[in-house]
Amino acid sequence: MNLYIPILAIGAVGFGFAIFSVLAAALTGPKRYNRARLEAYECGIEPTPQAVGGGHIPIKYFLTAMLFIVFDIEIVFLYPWAVSFDHLGLFGLFEMVIFIATVFVAYAYVWRRGGLEWD
Amino acid sequence: MNFHVPVIQYAEVLPILIVLGAAVLGVLVEAFIPRSLRYVFQVVISLGSILLAFVAVVRLHGTSHVAVEGSVVVDGPTLFLQGTLLLLAIGGVLLIAERGLDTGGSAFTAHAATLPGSEAERTALASGIIQTEVFPLTLFALGGMLLFPAAGDLVTMFVALEVLSLPLYLMSGLARRRRLLSQEAALKYFLLGAFSSAFFLYGSALIYGYAGTVSLSGIREAISSNAGNDLVLLMGVALVTVGLLFKVSAVPFHAWTPDVYQGAPTPVTAFMAACTKVAAFGAILRLFYVGLSGLRWDWRPMLSGVAIVTMVLGVIWALTQTDMKRMLAYSSIAHAGFILTGVVAVNKAGLEGSLFYLAAYGFTTIGAFAIVTLVRDSTGEATHLSQWSGLARRSPLVASTFALFLLAYAGIPLTSGFVAKFAVFAAAYSSGSSALVIVGVLSSAIAAFFYIRVIVLMFFAEPKEDGPTVVVPPIMTTAAITLAASVTLVLGVMPSSVLDLIKSAARFTF
Amino acid sequence: MNPANYLFVSALLFTIGALGVLTRRNSIVIFMCVELMLNAANLAFVTFARIQGNLDGQVIAFFTMVVAACEVVVGLAIIVSIYRSRRSASVDDVNLLKF
Repeated sequence: MNLYIPILAIGAVGFGFAIFSVLAAALTGPKRYNRARLEAYECGIEPTPQAVGGGHIPIKYFLTAMLFIVFDIEIVFLYPWAVSFDHLGLFGLFEMVIFIATVFVAYAYVWRRGGLEWD
Repeated sequence: MNFHVPVIQYAEVLPILIVLGAAVLGVLVEAFIPRSLRYVFQVVISLGSILLAFVAVVRLHGTSHVAVEGSVVVDGPTLFLQGTLLLLAIGGVLLIAERGLDTGGSAFTAHAATLPGSEAERTALASGIIQTEVFPLTLFALGGMLLFPAAGDLVTMFVALEVLSLPLYLMSGLARRRRLLSQEAALKYFLLGAFSSAFFLYGSALIYGYAGTVSLSGIREAISSNAGNDLVLLMGVALVTVGLLFKVSAVPFHAWTPDVYQGAPTPVTAFMAACTKVAAFGAILRLFYVGLSGLRWDWRPMLSGVAIVTMVLGVIWALTQTDMKRMLAYSSIAHAGFILTGVVAVNKAGLEGSLFYLAAYGFTTIGAFAIVTLVRDSTGEATHLSQWSGLARRSPLVASTFALFLLAYAGIPLTSGFVAKFAVFAAAYSSGSSALVIVGVLSSAIAAFFYIRVIVLMFFAEPKEDGPTVVVPPIMTTAAITLAASVTLVLGVMPSSVLDLIKSAARFTF
Repeated sequence: MNPANYLFVSALLFTIGALGVLTRRNSIVIFMCVELMLNAANLAFVTFARIQGNLDGQVIAFFTMVVAACEVVVGLAIIVSIYRSRRSASVDDVNLLKF
């Protein structure tokens, strides 16, 4: 159980710092109320009632998200390999290089066919 | 802690590695080769790798070994089914590669991402782009199919199931004509397929909970020593069975079949109908004959029931269809029932009969769908049955070839279908399920009625005025049809050499 | 804590997912329910690994996650393409193939 005490301590410190910062800002800061203060963002683009494009998200976000999912999840196989790398030795390295090369083939396809271009 | 470094027998999984490697190569071709050259590269890579893999399978002949730490079993049934799959895939790839039939160049949409009916689609069509991504997709699916009947544990089986399914979902949505229908087919296939594979996975989890291992031989031992909670095991078996029966489109898990067969591009339908069934039945045979053979008194009644319902409902629904592709889809459901009849025999004859039936059914299916691609009018393929009336006047050769395939489906002597049906019914009878045999024979009789109805329609009805034309088959389709027709005839007239091959191959290793 | 409780949660998740697939009409939601079923299987695998005292189940969970990710990508590609052609993700609108 002792192992978990530092984790709990870090959690408590983080929580305490957040409360402290908010309270300190509220107590010490000057209080000037105006309309801009009540906006979602104090500076930058004015929020509009309706999102640009009727609330539809452009397809390019979707494509990026999908690419992220695939390439992100593939990494899962690296963890068990990394843990037992010593025992697996050259065989494991060789297999993992093949695996990563295969993932890179997919990456090359996405890149060459314009999947990574934003505009 | 003692650590066991896994050993991979590369030589024994070579056929799978060749096909999957060629698929990866195909993706590289898509990335780096100029568009105009891709088609040639892809066709050469696909056909070349399949032939190479077939040679590898032949060279492995006689192997009987559990490879890759128990994940892949290379034995007689595996090698026979892999060989069959590769030959069927040659036919499938030839149909997919055909460019001489559709006026647009191929059966596949030029650009799957464009909206149907949009300006971008018209531009893509006008530019004469030929879709070539379908070749690597086919090879990925084929790689999964080769692994499916060889899988020695439930996880490998699950991964193989997904590797074969995911490309097929996409390929069903790629039709050049009637694109909304095709996209719809892809959506239905995907949602139901994902649903069923979730069942399979949860079933595997329960079986793992019972046996403490997912390897089929481990499950077999756990069952024989009665290791754990029977309820968990039976629930697991039921769920896994749902996943597998979905893939072979047995009733009540067949709902996707007619829609997907109709909506998908016909070359894809041919490939999918023939190869998925072979691969999935291979997995079913291995799971039930190796892993769950100790439990046969529990699953045999269940599968027998499914077989009866599948045969009866399959033929009755097929009777009422007016669309050629839907009719063939329902007939494929009925055939799944006939093959299940062989599976539930649980003896060597059942295994042999099922293997022979799969080979016979696969080639006939490739041939039948190949003929469907030939009958066309201005909007593409003419699949309504009434459009086929009097087809023999327009092209006696095509009509007779189609008649051959239909007769093989119906199980008329001197075709492969007769030998196949005889083999599975004899196996079922020898194992004491005479009720199953009676239902099977009756369903075959009903099935023969609607197959022969189409033959009568083609040969004895008046052709319609504005009926479809029968395109003279270009070289690749001709090759595929010739392959299918000759195998159908050879297996029907002199099946003994193949039966001997199966007899020596039909023994599971575990 | 009794590991069987995790199995009950997993069975519950699986049932919720399966019911969702059968009753919901939006293809995205159906698809999320399928993912729920896969994750229920994952939970069952990991729990059984604990009960059985071997690591197989945990390794299998990795494979399931990767397969599920691939399924997400393929599935969303199909759903988005059909949504763009029809402006609807409802499975009731997908009815050209009914006879």
